[in-house]
Amino acid sequence: MAERPEDLNLPNAVVTRIIKEAIPEGINVSKEARLAISKAASVFVLYATSCSNNFALKGKRKTINATDVISAMEDMEFEQFVDPLKECLDVFRNEQKGKREASQQRKKDREQSNNSTLDGSNLDLTVEDDDEEEKVNNNSKNIEPEKTDSDIMIINDESESNSEKDVEEG
Amino acid sequence: MADKERHQFSLPLSRVKTIMKSSPDVTIISQEALQMTGKATELFIQALAKVSLERNKDSEITYNDLAEIVNNDETLQFLQDIIPKKIKVSEYYEILKEEEAEES
Repeated sequence: MAERPEDLNLPNAVVTRIIKEAIPEGINVSKEARLAISKAASVFVLYATSCSNNFALKGKRKTINATDVISAMEDMEFEQFVDPLKECLDVFRNEQKGKREASQQRKKDREQSNNSTLDGSNLDLTVEDDDEEEKVNNNSKNIEPEKTDSDIMIINDESESNSEKDVEEG
Repeated sequence: MADKERHQFSLPLSRVKTIMKSSPDVTIISQEALQMTGKATELFIQALAKVSLERNKDSEITYNDLAEIVNNDETLQFLQDIIPKKIKVSEYYEILKEEEAEES
């Protein structure tokens, strides 16, 4: 919870950077204007929260989810944000999925290296893990195309680390 | 990665969450909703900056540009108390006088 009133402000440095990103170089933004935009952004968060919460209440849910926020944008007449937000949501979901897969992979690797003597039972475990992963993939079909990307990313990372090793060895 | 670069510019989600939680009716906010609100706020800041720049083609964005936009744009009406138009003290006195005249 907010203990001090400053906690309800967004950090000015970040807000300034975001503004600078949107406008061409050489444009000055007065300090007063920056402060006003920063405050406006805080109020925007509150306004968006209250609108999204209304959508959550309509759906008889206690949790605000991503679709509530996107519907709220339409409600607030910021339709131009809807498409970029949906894109961002896809990216975010892929990231989460990538992290999950990576941690599962690590878990599997660890299990394999730890219990090299108990091969039989260990194999069964890994097969189950694979099934679970496949189920997850099937459930989120819209994310599927990106799956190959994240796989490629992992492969790239590995090849990079390999090449680093090569350099070290050489 | 371009992704990581973009994350550097994004607003601190912990702060966004604090602001969201300061709204009385809100109980639980999903991680995705938090992410979306953060991104939306970022887009909002940029939209505000762009619109004020379009308005006056100068090399500076001033408070008055913002106040003017907020005053004229219906979707920004929720900001009218946050970014009010500046008026001179003499103008304020005139408004006061008018109100008094109406009352009496």
